[in-house]
Amino acid sequence: MKIAVVQFPGTNCEYETLVAVKAVGMDGEIFRWNRSAGELSSFDGYFIPGGFSYQDRVRAGAIASKEPVMQALTEEAAKGKPIIGICNGFQILVEAGLLPGTGKVEMALAQNVMVSNGKIVRRGYYCDWINLRHEAPPRRCSGSFLMERGSLFKIPIAHGEGNLVTSTPKLIEMLNDEEQVVFRYCDKNGRVINEFPVNVNGSTESIAGICNPEGNVLGMMPHPERAFFAWQLPAFDPRKQRPDEPGPGRSVFESVKRYIEVNA
Amino acid sequence: MLFELIGILQRCTQLNIIGLADSDVESNLRGAGIGMSVQEARSIAEVLGRDPTITELFCYDAMWSEHCSYKSSRATLKEFMPTDGPNVVMGPVEDSGIVAIDDKWCVVISHESHNHPSQILPNEGAATGIGGIVRDVNCMGATVVATADPLRFGDPYGPKASKVRWVAEGVVDGIWQYGNALGVPNIGGDIVFNESFDDNCLVNVVSLGIVRRDQIIRSRAPPAAGEGGYDVILIGKPTDASGLGGVTFASEALREEDEETNRGAVQIPDPFLKNVLFKANDDLFRLVREESVEIGFKDLGGGGFTCAASEMGAAGGFGMEINLDDMHKAGDFPPEVLSIAETQERFLIISPVHLREKILKIYNEDWDLPNVYEGARASVVGKINSGNRFVVRHKGEIVCDVPIQHLTGGIRYQREERPRTFNLVEPETQEAADYNAVLLKILKSPNIASREHVYRYYDTEVMGNTVIRPGEADAGLIAPVRGEKFGVAMSVDSNPFYGRISPYWGGATAVAEAMRNVAAIGATPSTITDCLNYGNPEKPEAFWEFREGVKGLSDSCKQIWLKGYENQPVPIVSGNVSFYNESPQGSVDPSPVIACVGIIKDIGKAITQELKAAGDRLYLIGPRFDELGGSEYYRTIFNTTGANVPIVRFDLERRMIYAVIDAIDEGLLASAHDISNGGLACTAMEMALVRPAKFGLDLELDNAADAGMRTDKLLFSESSGFVLEARPGREGRLVDLLRSYDLEPMEIGKVSRKRRIVMKRAGVTVADLDLDEARLAWTSGLVEAMR
Repeated sequence: MKIAVVQFPGTNCEYETLVAVKAVGMDGEIFRWNRSAGELSSFDGYFIPGGFSYQDRVRAGAIASKEPVMQALTEEAAKGKPIIGICNGFQILVEAGLLPGTGKVEMALAQNVMVSNGKIVRRGYYCDWINLRHEAPPRRCSGSFLMERGSLFKIPIAHGEGNLVTSTPKLIEMLNDEEQVVFRYCDKNGRVINEFPVNVNGSTESIAGICNPEGNVLGMMPHPERAFFAWQLPAFDPRKQRPDEPGPGRSVFESVKRYIEVNA
Repeated sequence: MLFELIGILQRCTQLNIIGLADSDVESNLRGAGIGMSVQEARSIAEVLGRDPTITELFCYDAMWSEHCSYKSSRATLKEFMPTDGPNVVMGPVEDSGIVAIDDKWCVVISHESHNHPSQILPNEGAATGIGGIVRDVNCMGATVVATADPLRFGDPYGPKASKVRWVAEGVVDGIWQYGNALGVPNIGGDIVFNESFDDNCLVNVVSLGIVRRDQIIRSRAPPAAGEGGYDVILIGKPTDASGLGGVTFASEALREEDEETNRGAVQIPDPFLKNVLFKANDDLFRLVREESVEIGFKDLGGGGFTCAASEMGAAGGFGMEINLDDMHKAGDFPPEVLSIAETQERFLIISPVHLREKILKIYNEDWDLPNVYEGARASVVGKINSGNRFVVRHKGEIVCDVPIQHLTGGIRYQREERPRTFNLVEPETQEAADYNAVLLKILKSPNIASREHVYRYYDTEVMGNTVIRPGEADAGLIAPVRGEKFGVAMSVDSNPFYGRISPYWGGATAVAEAMRNVAAIGATPSTITDCLNYGNPEKPEAFWEFREGVKGLSDSCKQIWLKGYENQPVPIVSGNVSFYNESPQGSVDPSPVIACVGIIKDIGKAITQELKAAGDRLYLIGPRFDELGGSEYYRTIFNTTGANVPIVRFDLERRMIYAVIDAIDEGLLASAHDISNGGLACTAMEMALVRPAKFGLDLELDNAADAGMRTDKLLFSESSGFVLEARPGREGRLVDLLRSYDLEPMEIGKVSRKRRIVMKRAGVTVADLDLDEARLAWTSGLVEAMR
């Protein structure tokens, strides 16, 4: 089982993502953008990690989405292979038309706008640990294959543009109906409150991650690779005191592994 | 050959010095845009035996600037600073210092300022600060794993409030925009607002790297370079005119009327290109290991190409010949511009000829620099030789031919020092009637309030190494090597209000507090770096402040020994001197900004500062003294500075730091926080106010010494100390351990289930604050000051 961690100029989370891939028992390597895109077909799954590919020129993810490797990934996605885009990787998948999966660019991850009591209290980049609720049923999506509906995760975000917006009518309704909304921001008890700080970036309906209709392509703003070990958790989380335990983000990587096994 | 050389030299522009009167030399120099003194220019002409070329003078001007040559500071640093120790792998000789973590791994650390550029163009200035410092660490062969930014801004409520806020916002933006994109976590830093920084902010930056001891790369031409005719390879961004004269600009006071001109001296950074360059550099390091060859590697920073090239050649004892026509550049610039422009995102390699094609392939093909950034690439620009000249050709002419050691040797000045005299008095104060109001006012002060508004802009998590992040404890902590249990902690400190009263104690307390910060999470102070920010050293008072600061910080290092080595100082392995931090309105308060790196053997033992459980007992160590000079209390409540500055009681300080480290190692503490700004009151309150802010405090001050002190002085004295939360059941052992260090544990109350901060003395309630009200004040203070 071999995973490609795709690297563009400006990517900056590829090394820790590869650590997480390997730690759950998958093989993996970093795949540089200027390698022959055809080589991608020999991999069983793909991670597009976070960072600032091509310096976020034009829009975050816009340039990388036009690279030959993304065309190759579109073909691999059609074969049902898992592709997980994290943070900037999510932005690239949206710009490439792989999410929400209609082949067109139908949504954007716009600048964070933090709204509280009807007022904008802050804009732009934000880094913190937040809570996520898994919204899809188990086995719906490659990257959350092993997760129960309603399960909660503490996980960090770090982005300036994670505010999911769309002007396509009924797109959000369709995503909800088709169970393509995989993660939402919530409070520590699992309540979705569409206000900062619980909705940390102003995203429509607090959406933090979505998958394509087939479920093999997942995009998410939070960073599971940075919540892979319990020692990475914030100080006030009691699990921090048990440093040898797995962290909450590990289940994304375990899920991808299981998804590949089941679909092999 | 000699005639030929003279012939060529005559064809390029020389500046007439020999035989001219001082006033004519002066006007020739200024006319050419060169800042050096007439005496300096004459001494160069004398060594060369002829009039120097324009390019030569520009190269000397950069190399002999205060920034590159430490001409005013070097003697003082040598006189006082302890730079060696049992854990030192490399002291302050190259771009970064290196200390050992264990037999295999080392920490690389560098510390710089980017003050003047940040005052002029805050965003670019602060970003370039990070860009430069991470290159200094990377070029030692290290992986850059953390940064921290100590920042000093003017008074956000003073006469220059709008400029101050514009600078502060731009600096924070520059830091996050560069650091986050580069992908290095920001794990610390601090911010102090003070009117002496109204016209001259301080933007210091610290960077940490990790390297295996056997994989360190030196910034010098390797021993075989001369005979082997090694290549000089320039990599990165195409050279342009940006940052021209940056080091000279950093070595003068700021005047408002020069603002337009000074903008040209600010460099333009690019984290995107740097991100790719770092990955390509990793491949270079791998190649060097596989081929078992030694190379020289250095970043291009202050002084540009000339500084990097000549210092590497001179450090190896060689000469070199450079051809500027082979340099990749962004346009047709004159030779003096190509020589000293401070174009960012460049490195220089000195490597054996047989590796040339492999090195060029890494940068130009594998990492595809020319397609990643217009004009970026790796180019062979010259050769090392066994001679002793620094020779530069441009369009067929020799534009520079000087003795390399003379160019890099710089000059020394023995500056005059004179104590600054001023009138300091302790205020006659009335004890506050309403402590609740006093506490809320202090919690909201921009210098005490939570830093969350700023650090949420910083990516504190990238790389996945972060164990303790900003806001959680007195120091940040990372676990930089997977599979190893050790952690590297970092803290920064300097209190300008203390420095104003006593530059000596300003230096000494900064070191002591930075060490306490690191100890408060359980790490052992391992090394200190300093960035010494002062005024114009040509003024005797400023130079006196500098010398006092260096004495003070050195005394703390020498007397708070490296734990485990009696009488051995905590070594200072890296640093920077930033003079001329002044405007016509005056000089900044003396600001020796200190960073302390600590090592903890097992990250699982590290603790943070938030209260852990209701009922836990709280202990104070470190008696309170009547030394509120420069305190938050005097300033915020009485609008005065006072005179009795806190001092470092070296023996007590050492015993407290060691005891806290041992107590954490034994698992006796649930939380710890060191006492500094705002005194005992703020320290204890902060433990309740940081997330998750679940518990209140029931403080009984009767046991706190000095028992005879007035309550306000007891609460707000900034004498050194710690507040410790004992793990339930371990109180007895904790008390024994503290006593074994000859410390008096003072039990000062308990963690409370009620969401209130209660302080009592002799049965009387002094303060009783709602926790959420206190938290609102504490979390809004900085937001309002920076909005």
